[in-house]
Amino acid sequence: MLTVLSNYLESIRDNLRLDHSSEKEVIQELETHIEDEVEELRESGLSEEEAADTCLTLLGSAKMVARQIYEAHSQGSWTQALLAATPHILFGLLFALNWWQGVGWLLGMLVLILIMAVYGWWRGKPAWLFPWLGYSLLPVVVAALLLLYLPKSWSWVAILVYLPLALWLLYSITVQTIKRDWLYISLMLLPLPTIAGWFVAIEPVNQFPEDWLQRMQDFAPWIGLTFLALGVTVATFIRVRKRWLRVSVLVFSGMITLTIVAYYTDGRLSIPAFLILMVVMLLVLLSPALVERTLRHSG
Amino acid sequence: MAKKNELIKGSIDSLLLCVIVQQPIYGYQIIKELDSRSQGYFKFKEGTLYPALHRLERAGLIRGEWQTLPNGRQRRYYHITEKGLYTLAAKRGQWLDFLTAMNLIIQPVGK
Repeated sequence: MLTVLSNYLESIRDNLRLDHSSEKEVIQELETHIEDEVEELRESGLSEEEAADTCLTLLGSAKMVARQIYEAHSQGSWTQALLAATPHILFGLLFALNWWQGVGWLLGMLVLILIMAVYGWWRGKPAWLFPWLGYSLLPVVVAALLLLYLPKSWSWVAILVYLPLALWLLYSITVQTIKRDWLYISLMLLPLPTIAGWFVAIEPVNQFPEDWLQRMQDFAPWIGLTFLALGVTVATFIRVRKRWLRVSVLVFSGMITLTIVAYYTDGRLSIPAFLILMVVMLLVLLSPALVERTLRHSG
Repeated sequence: MAKKNELIKGSIDSLLLCVIVQQPIYGYQIIKELDSRSQGYFKFKEGTLYPALHRLERAGLIRGEWQTLPNGRQRRYYHITEKGLYTLAAKRGQWLDFLTAMNLIIQPVGK
């Protein structure tokens, strides 16, 4: 096959963002189409180069074809949308119904999250996996924060041993999934800005953890509300087809949840802190796009 | 031309189902079939065919199956499903009603 045709198929592959088996089938189908068409054009008297150019003109832009095929495949079913929203809904209910102080509930949820994360990974990383994956990494992040708040010697343990290990874990999962579609990493990281927002808003000043637990108790219904909002976001994300709509849904939900945090904590979140959190939210949700681009270009 | 493309875009599902219902068929053959049966009227960017086929497949109206040819090449043949047959019958009915009504309106009034 001529380089120009191989490059066309490669450009489609780069922009498809489908799972490996679907991507392979799409490329194979298009390759057969190109071979059939070039063969027929050559039989009609065109040179190989002329036949390739005509074939590419008839097919249309690689980016447009890839985008349309992505949109044909991207929409998940309602079951998948519900499955993806479930960890957020469970997390929301944990706070809204005040179950978060029950060790049994927390352990049960942790076990369920880990089972679903392992099952989804084993099933070829479907879109519904990523919210579960995000929550399965949450204990890793929370443990790091708790270590930092413990007496000083523990902070050193956190900085020297735990944080590098936690970052390595996050990095390896990110690299394994980001080449397919950076949006799934954003989906995985979606609760982080909201958690950071609540953490800053109810930040302990004097007594830790007594002061902190009391404030958690006070704000629990609103914490629950923000996670339920994330559940709605994720379900919408799974159901919409277009990429720009998916990005908009994620960013809009980040803005809404941080606004809820600021509104219901009665000024605990200062305007500069709110603005910084907004910037952090945009960085968390959109920076995977830059990482993906860098990884793709570095081969 | 843009208006013609919009018309084709709006009817592509019906066109594809009408071709696939005749026999199991692959992408490139669909293009040729549409071109010959419409006497050259239905020409569109061939790349847009596959997104439409995949959309119909995900909706359960058609089913794609790989077949290996004697020369070793593989082709993906599309078959219509039960759901596809039912949808096609409904679409045909809608089209015929639409065409009858359009003809009544647009044909010149006899004196």
